[in-house]
Order: sequence, then C-alpha cells, then structure tokens
Amino acid sequence: MIAKTEDVMERITVKKVLIVDDDSAIIQTVKEALIRYDDTLVVLTAGDGLEAVDRLKEQTVSIVVTDLKMPRMDGFSLLTHVMAYYPDIPVIIITGFSTLAMEQAALENGAVGYIPKPFMVKDLAEKIIATLKRESDGGTLHSISSGMFLQLLEMEEKSCTIRVVSKPLGKQGVLFLNRGDLLDARVNGLRGEEAACEILSWDEISLSIQNSCRQKEKCVHRPLQAILFEAALRKDNRRSQVKGSSVKEGEEDSRSDRKGRVSPEEVKGVLTERFPEGAGVEDIYQDEAWDGLVEEVRRLAGFMKAGDFKAAYVDRGDDYAFILVPGERVTVVSVSHKCPRDRLVETLSELS
Amino acid sequence: MKEVLGRILETEDVYGVMLFSLQGAVIFREESSSFLGDRQAREAWPRFVGALQGLREADLIFDKIRLYIRRTDLGYLIIVMGLFAPAAMVRMSCDMLLPLLRQPTKSKWLRKLFKKEF
Repeated sequence: MIAKTEDVMERITVKKVLIVDDDSAIIQTVKEALIRYDDTLVVLTAGDGLEAVDRLKEQTVSIVVTDLKMPRMDGFSLLTHVMAYYPDIPVIIITGFSTLAMEQAALENGAVGYIPKPFMVKDLAEKIIATLKRESDGGTLHSISSGMFLQLLEMEEKSCTIRVVSKPLGKQGVLFLNRGDLLDARVNGLRGEEAACEILSWDEISLSIQNSCRQKEKCVHRPLQAILFEAALRKDNRRSQVKGSSVKEGEEDSRSDRKGRVSPEEVKGVLTERFPEGAGVEDIYQDEAWDGLVEEVRRLAGFMKAGDFKAAYVDRGDDYAFILVPGERVTVVSVSHKCPRDRLVETLSELS
Repeated sequence: MKEVLGRILETEDVYGVMLFSLQGAVIFREESSSFLGDRQAREAWPRFVGALQGLREADLIFDKIRLYIRRTDLGYLIIVMGLFAPAAMVRMSCDMLLPLLRQPTKSKWLRKLFKKEF
C-alpha cells in the first residue's frame, strides 16, 4: 500500500518558513542562518503583515516567524489572522521591544514562541526546526485512499491535523479532526465542506499527520459519508472533464458573438468547465428584480468613463451572496459566502 | 478618518476612497486619479448610493476599473481601483481599519501605546 516517491517526499519534507519583518537586515541574517537547513526549509519573506497575508494565500506555509512592530499590519494583527484562518500554522514572535505583558499577550493569542531581539539566530533556527517536527509527529503515508483513512480515524476517534499533498494536481490541503469528527478543511482559499470535498476527491495523495488539532470551530456539518460521496462524484467529473477537454476551434469566437445575450445555461456551462471541483454555486437564474441596480451601475459607469459593466458580486446579508452577469436580462448566480468570489467574478465578467 | 481611510489609498492600484452617508452625502473623499469623474459624475454618486440600500458589500467589475463597496456604521464606503488591484487585500484592509472609525478613542490609545512601547 505504501509506495514512497522521491518527488513527493521532497514536497512533504521541505517546509516553507515565512519570515515577516520590515527590517531587511534581520530577514537576510535569518535567511543566511537557515541556509544550512536548505534541504529541509525554504524561506519565504514578507515586509509586513499584509504582505504576509498574501504569501499565506499563495503558498502552503508551515511556520510563520514575525516581528511585532511593522507598518500597515503589525505582528499582533498577523498573529490574530493566522489563528483565525490558519490555526494549524505555528507562529513565532520576534521583537526588539519586548515587555512581559507583550510576551504574555503573544502566547495567550496562540504564538508558540516569543524571542526578544537581539537573539542568537541559531536558537531561532532550532526553535523553528523543533516546532516543525511536530507537524508530522504522527507519521507520513503515501499512495493511500484518503477516504478509507479518514473512516478509520473516525472509528478510532482520533484527533489530528492531516496535511494532504496531491502530486498530479500539485495541490496541498489540510484536514482537521477532533475525536474522529471532521471539523474543518482548508485548500486554495476554500474552507469547510467545500474544501473537504475538494481534498478528498484527489488521487495519488500523500499524508503527513500531526497528533493534535488546534482547530476548534466546526465548519463541516454534513456526515463524513456524504462528503466522501460528493468527493467521489467530483473525482468522476474531473476524469470525464479530462476526457472531453479537447477544445473545439473557434469556440472563443462564438463566445464573443454571444456577448449581451448571456443565458443561465451558458453561465452554468462556463462554471462547470472552469470549476469542476465546484465553486459554492447554489442556483443560476434570470431575475428582473436586479434591473434597477444594474441600470444605476451602468449609468455611473458612463459618467466615470469606466467602460462596460462586466459583473458584480453582491452581499445583502442573506444566506447566499449573488453574482450578477449583465446582459439583455440580468443572470443571477446565487453562491455560498465561502465561494472563491474573486475567481468566480473574474470568470463570469468575461461573458458580458 | 483621513488617516484611517488614507491607508487604504496607499494600496497598490487603488485610485480613490469615498465615504457617503446612507442618504448619499459625501463624508470623506480622497482620490489619486481622475477616475472619480468630472463634476457631472460627482453629482451622480448620491443617486447611485441611494440605489445601494440593503447592500452589505459589493464588487463591481467594469472594462477599465473595479469598485469595492462596503456598508459601514457611517454609510457606504466606495473604493475605486484598477483591475490589477489586490482586491482581497483591500477587503482585508477594510476589515481591519473600519472598526477604527467606530472607536476613535481606542485607536488613539493604541497609537500612543505603540509609540511608547514598541
């Protein structure tokens, strides 16, 4: 059952350390100190908290080391963000202006380490390595069925954090289990059931298991069997998409000819094609109730010389948000609040 | 307010930040390009804001620009940005900065703390 692959091993064993500091000299020093671990660590850098937030979205980071005082977004705000959105990623604080109260606040807010400046870089490196070892303290498995493994963990009522790597897709995701209960999942900006279905639909995966779960909030509410069933459907869809992916010549031309005549069927077709894993779409329909708002938006666009109105994402505080695609009639896509909104709006804006 | 909303304007590819009351009156306006339009366009904003009633948040995409709209305690915040602006970062900046508009005394206290202790 277990078949190790060097490439996969490399993906799993090489950890990404995100160093966040507005002092480039500190970043350089830490980078140099970690060079001796370059078979294990890849160093990413960010000049402040906001830049770090972007890095966290782009990359699967294993640990964050951050200064406290930085422009735009400070270390405490970054710590709060990481604890809210990436509770499995440990954070080490480094600061040149340390007080006992700050140290207490940092540790109480979830930091795993607090190192006042000046510090021995060797000590920081050792702290990073020691913290990262915990990421796979429960072992690593290759080429197994994530569904079967999860069912086993459910029966055994295990609490753990599982990092999943799909070699063919080049993706990484995280699953959180508390006493066998799948609490949450995270991948590519998705969370909860959507992310769980996505991760569990992957083939040829490798898992590294951490024997603890820092996630507390329950974001997956459907039973595991239902999630596994949907994941299996997605896997089948992906396979059939691959088979039918030969794009007919001239398709782009016909698409541009249809501008202004966007239909729910066309929107559905585009979403199925571009988001085979699903995108939190609930319904697609045409609704005149939005005509007034769309008319005002078009009017403003004219005054601003902003060009054509292409698409909108609208949240009215309802159970669902809405993506509006203007045309002769407005096509409305109702979506989950956890949908990949920017990617969806961008995709649909190409239609009108 | 100028300091808080001005920080959003520092984001890459953000052209302007405006705050309108729910009735459409301008509370704050700062722009770094002419995309906010001429006098006629400026007069169009209140009517547009009137059409937003009930919206909590919106992204509007046009050929040349995009608008991010967010309802706040004071009214509607409208951010004008280019197509390559980091939209998610702008939203996050709003998440972090807009509470400061509600608690001016706390933000002053925090600034003071940061100046003294960091």
